[in-house]
Parts: sequence; C-alpha cells; structure tokens
Amino acid sequence: MKPFVIYSIVCFGLFQSCKDENQTIEPNNIQSEILSDIGTHICYANYEALKNASENMHTAIQNFNTNPTDANLDLCRLEWKNARKFWENSEAWLFGPVATDGIDPRIDTWPVDFIRLDSVLSSGSVFNQTYVHNLEESLKGFHPIEYLLFGLSGQVSAASITVRQREYLLALSENLRDLTADLHHSWSPQGDNYVFEITQAGSSTLFPSKLSAFLEITNAMIGICDEVANGKIGEVFVNLDTMGEESPFAKNSMVDFKNNIRGVEAIYLGRLNGNETKGVEDFVRMYNLSLDGKIKQKISLSLAALDQITLPFGRAIFEQPIQVQLAIDAINQLKIELEEGLLPLIQMHAK
Amino acid sequence: MSLKSKFSVSLVLFAILILASCRKYQETYQDPDEEWFSGGSQTFFDGNTTGFDHAFTGLDARQMQNHEVGDKAFDAVFVTAPAPLNSGLGPLYNNVSCVSCHVNDGRGKPPINGEPLSSMLIRVSIPGANVHGGPNGIPNFGGQLQQRAIAGKMPEADVQITYTMLTGAFDDGTPYSLRQPTYTLSNSYKQLPSDYLISPRVAPPVFGLGLLEAISEYDVVKNADENDANGDGISGKPNRVWDVLTASYRLGRFGWKAGQPSILQQSAGAYNEDMGITNFVFPVESSFGQSQHDGLNDETEISDSLMHAVAFYMQTLGVPARRNAKDPIVLEGKRIFNQIQCASCHIAKHVTATDMAFTARSNQKIFPYTDLLLHDMGPGLADQRSEFQADGYEWKTPALWGIGLTQKINGHAYFLHDGRARNLTEAILWHGGEAENSKNQFKKLSAAEREAVLKFLDSL
Repeated sequence: MKPFVIYSIVCFGLFQSCKDENQTIEPNNIQSEILSDIGTHICYANYEALKNASENMHTAIQNFNTNPTDANLDLCRLEWKNARKFWENSEAWLFGPVATDGIDPRIDTWPVDFIRLDSVLSSGSVFNQTYVHNLEESLKGFHPIEYLLFGLSGQVSAASITVRQREYLLALSENLRDLTADLHHSWSPQGDNYVFEITQAGSSTLFPSKLSAFLEITNAMIGICDEVANGKIGEVFVNLDTMGEESPFAKNSMVDFKNNIRGVEAIYLGRLNGNETKGVEDFVRMYNLSLDGKIKQKISLSLAALDQITLPFGRAIFEQPIQVQLAIDAINQLKIELEEGLLPLIQMHAK
Repeated sequence: MSLKSKFSVSLVLFAILILASCRKYQETYQDPDEEWFSGGSQTFFDGNTTGFDHAFTGLDARQMQNHEVGDKAFDAVFVTAPAPLNSGLGPLYNNVSCVSCHVNDGRGKPPINGEPLSSMLIRVSIPGANVHGGPNGIPNFGGQLQQRAIAGKMPEADVQITYTMLTGAFDDGTPYSLRQPTYTLSNSYKQLPSDYLISPRVAPPVFGLGLLEAISEYDVVKNADENDANGDGISGKPNRVWDVLTASYRLGRFGWKAGQPSILQQSAGAYNEDMGITNFVFPVESSFGQSQHDGLNDETEISDSLMHAVAFYMQTLGVPARRNAKDPIVLEGKRIFNQIQCASCHIAKHVTATDMAFTARSNQKIFPYTDLLLHDMGPGLADQRSEFQADGYEWKTPALWGIGLTQKINGHAYFLHDGRARNLTEAILWHGGEAENSKNQFKKLSAAEREAVLKFLDSL
C-alpha cells in the first residue's frame, strides 16, 4: 500500500474518533442540562425550602405569642435554625434579585442596632407590616429575631420575653416570611422568572451565553468562600473581636459557615436537600478528572476543618486558634482551586 | 520532479506557511486601540454580577490587603452610637452603608412605586455661594437633605417624587415618552426658606475611578473650550473646586457636577453627609449647630486608616472589558455615535499619567468615554443650582464604560443624575443645550441606526 493511502486512512480514523467523541459527550447539551438543573433543582428549590421554613417559623412564633411556654420557645428556636440553614446555603449563589432588589440586607443585616431596637420596643408604635417594612435593615431580618428568641445569653426563658417583644417578634417573622416569599417569587416561573435566565442561558437576556451563566455561578462560589474564610471567620479572628460574629445569640455561627460551604458543595455536586441532579461536577468531569477530585477533596477538607472547631465561634477564636486558622486555610485552598482550576476550565470549555 | 523543482515547490509552500501564520497572528492580536480593554491593563473579562468588583492587578501584598480592608469597610452597616461595632450612624443620614447605595459597586436608582429614597439623595442650598465658592447650604439643613434619622431625632424632611409624562416622536414617526420628575419636600423639621434649591442625585458607579483620577489635569483641561472657540457648539469647562486637605482649588473630577477633586474627599464627604460618620477629612457632624446634633463628641467615628482604605478600595477597582466590540452592528453604532458628535463630550480614549509611585494605574490607555468637563445640558435637565464653577444648567460628562452591564449588575436601567431615564434611549432624548444638536440627529436616525447606537452603548 502506498504511504499516501496509509496516511489518509490514519487521518480519517483520527478525525472519525474525534467526531465520535464529540457525539458521545455532546458538551453543549450537557451544559444546558447542568444549568437547568442548578437553576431549578438547587437554587430555586432551595428558595422554595427557605420560604416554607420561614412560614413554619412564623407559625411557631404565632403559637409562642399566644402560648408563651418554654417548649414553644424551643420550637421557635428550632424553626429559626432550620430557616437559617436554607438561607446560608443560598449565600453560595448570591446573585440575581436577592442582590439587585435589595432583599439580602433586609433579611440578613449585621449588626443589630440595639439602641434603636430598645427605642422601637419602648415606643407606642403598632407593629404592623407597614411599620416593619419601613424600619431600618438593622432592625429586622434573621438577627433581631435571633436576639429576641435567644437573648444575649442564648438561653433566655419564655417568661422573660415581654409581651411587647413577642409582638415585635411576630411582626418580624411575618416580615421575614414575606421577604422570603418575594425572593421565591422573583425566581419562580409563575413570578418574575429569574430561574429562566439561568436555565435558558445562551438565549436569555441576562446570560447571552452558557459561559456567562457558568461564570456567574462560579464567581458566586468563589465569593462565598472568600466571605467565609476572610470575612465571617477571618476578620473576627484577626481582630479577636467577637462583635463581628454573625449569629452569636443562637451560637449558630459554626453551623452558618458549614451551611455556606454546603451551598458550594450543592452547586458543585448537584445535590441539596435530597435533590440529586447534575451539577458543575458533571462539567468538570468531562474535561479534567484530576481537577474534579481536587475540588471535591477541598470541599471535604473545608467541612472537616470546620468540624474540628468544637466550641462556639466566639470562644473558639480565643481557645481554639489553631483549629480556626486551619479552617481559614482550608476554605482559602478551596477558593484557590475554584479560581485557578475551575474558572479557567469553564472559560475554556463553556459555550 | 527535479531536485530544483522540488526545492522551488518547498520554498513556495514555506512562504505560504509563513504568510498564513503572519495572517493568523494579525487576526488574533488585540490592539488596545480596538477598545476591548476599557481600563487598559486594569480591564477584567467579567460581564456578570462581579464585573465592577475586581481589584487592580499588579497590587503588591500590602496594597492588596489595604484594598480588602477597604472592601469590607465598604460593606459595613453603621448603627446608632454608642455601639461596640460600626458605631456612629447619623444622627441624620441618607443610608447605613456605602454598599446600600452603590450596590455591587454600581449605579443607584430612584425609588419605585412609592418606596422611600434609598440609593438617591437630594442636595439643597440657597442662592449664592459659601466662602469657598461651593453651594450655600440652608441654615439648619446644610447642603444635603438627610431624610432619615436615628431614634429621638427627626428626618430633615420627607421627599416625594412625581412624574409627568412627556410625549414626542422620532423623525420616522415612532413615538416615545419621557418622565419629567417633580420633587416635593414635606414634613420638614424646621421651616424651609422659600428660595431653596434642590439637586437630586443617584449614586454613581464607583469602579474605574482610580483611572479617572490618574488622568493628568493637563490632559483634561486641554479638551476644554469654554468659549467655544472652535465654533462646534460644544464648550466643555473644567470645574475648580475646594480641596479640603490642601486648602486650595483643584480640578473637580467626581460627582455629577465634578464637585469633588479626589476619591478620598468624595468618599469622606459621603461618609459624613450620607451616613453621619465623621472622619479626618470632615470631622464635624453634618448636623453640627442644628438642634438635631447628637452632642456625643465622639468624633472621629472611623479611623484615619479605615478612611484611607475605603478610598484606596475605590481607587483600585478595575473596569469590565467590552463585549461584542467587533460586532458589525456595534461598529456601525460606534460610527454613528461619532458622526452625530456624541464623542465630542464622551471622549473615548485617555492615557493616564505616568506615576512610578502607583504603577498599577500608571500610563494606561483607557476608554471611559468622558471628558470630565462640564457642559450645558439644557433646561430639561437643569437643576438651577450651582456648584463651584458649574452653573445650574451644567453637568459633568459621565463615563460610559460598563453602562451596558447596568441591568445585569444593578437590576435596573435607570440613567442620568436623577434616574429619570428608564433606558438609554430616554437618556439620549433628555440631552439638550450643547447636546441638542446630537440629540436631534439621533432622532433623525432610522430605527435600525438607533438600535445600532444602543447596541454600541450596550457593548461598553
């Protein structure tokens, strides 16, 4: 056989194998599926869970308001922690209406303005929804509710919560319920349908390409890792200033941090609250199995490092400084892997 | 084939290969003049929510730490004093943090559907000028209306905005409508004088400011043509404003009327007036001398280093890269933009001054689309309130870089100093005065040509 013929056959074979591989992977379709699953089954589904959990908390606070027993107070605290979990998960995708419509600061502003809170409680104002709606952000949302439910000590008794405080609690929980319902509505296909922007990326207004949607999602993952490592934990630890700690009354800060990282994990694996769908993992595994392993390892190491902090965060910064530093380092390592591994991979392969 | 022939064929193939590789090189090389790199080497290819929030490249470790400290401070929510964290809000204020107005480091908006003012404020004064030639604040109110107050104090006044719809049509008959705002102050804590003046302002974007600050004064002033010597109908006037720290007059660059000479003074003024947070540049509460003053004598309420860090944060925010800059329709839009003389004020290219002490912004070819000069924008936009050299008709040409990302990053498309324009078309149609001719030429364009201009603006 002439060399030219052999060469032609080899080339044909090579091109054919490339074509076959493309047909098998169909990256464009898989990218659409991943975005659709993340938008619908992770982000939107979690907002729905947050809305329902906030509704449950409001119901519990209604019960507590009419029957202020310690048992009912405990139930309120449980529901607060449950709603808080979904909120902290969602901070791994802090883009869209939650940011642009100013919902985030109304739900989760820290610190609480205690002087003003005292003033509100001692006023004769009627705590209706118009009143709460017009209040400063530092007087509503998760943290004033937390303060009233748990008290400075974290263990306030039902009997020590005044009627006026209970009335305010009720108005605040109703406001939080409405805000989370607004957030859910902003993503809902029956509402403002932001979920469409993600699921139909490539032909949607805000994301004219799938690449831009993947970048939005990845940058949000990087952003929350930075916020947890260098803001929520790092700033308080470096300054040894417990006043910067979020959720200090419920002693829930460590749980908050883990739920932030679990939000990152949910986007990456496509798994949250029992939902099993496609995630960013499915994108990465098409091109770089080694990177996939590294990201998963660093998510696990971050969660494991946080688990090593066994004291409430406000004490851990003094009594477990090594564990705190190791947690900061582990989450920063995850952030670097997302920045230097995932981001370039997405820029190279997303359509 | 003879050896000679083989050699000739090889030579030809080699030449074709070289030429082809050269051609490929030319196709992929990005000339900075093609404007993809709006912020020179401080350009970031991020058209998403974080597009305005990238720290300069080339910062050393100390500078990067300073940027990050400033970033955190930019987000800090202030509360009523005394408090263990972020103490000192008010007693009078417009908002509680920098980021509350500059969401995602971007643009504010007017209130919608009866909401209270949030990322917008009202400057006030009475006719005349203060000792430095700036606006003459209203006794008992000062130069800015604070519509919020801590417990026990009263907001200075409430603000209501109503809109009157104006209608018009492009030359091809396509109708349009514009919103003419009317501002009403009510429930003032003290009687306002009858001759008070107001100037509403939405929060402008804060990215890229360090690059604008780095353009030499010479390069800004060289574009001025105060008396329209070249007869093109466009003047361009530098504002000369009071620099508090050097106690001298300098070129104004920041704010809607270029009323501030530096990012430090702009941000220190915002801390003081917008949040009631005293600092080393403005150490006296905005309410001092008024019955609303808190009398706590807790000045200054943020440290000097934190104030510097916040200013440095804004000085070192990069600029998003352009999108679709080579799209044929975008290029056609750019051609029309230049043809109808938009670029006479919205000057595309500048080169920052050489600065060996701050190399990250030194000698950068940038494309902000502004001349940083004042222009008469006509009676429709006039606030009738002077600010140093800027008269009641004049506004600074705002930078246009990043404007196409407003919807995505800030969730709205309200433009101009008071957010009256609901999209870029309306913003163009509000142009008057020196820009009247450009606006009229825009109105004469076909629908496709107008769309091309908008597509060009969206690509910035």
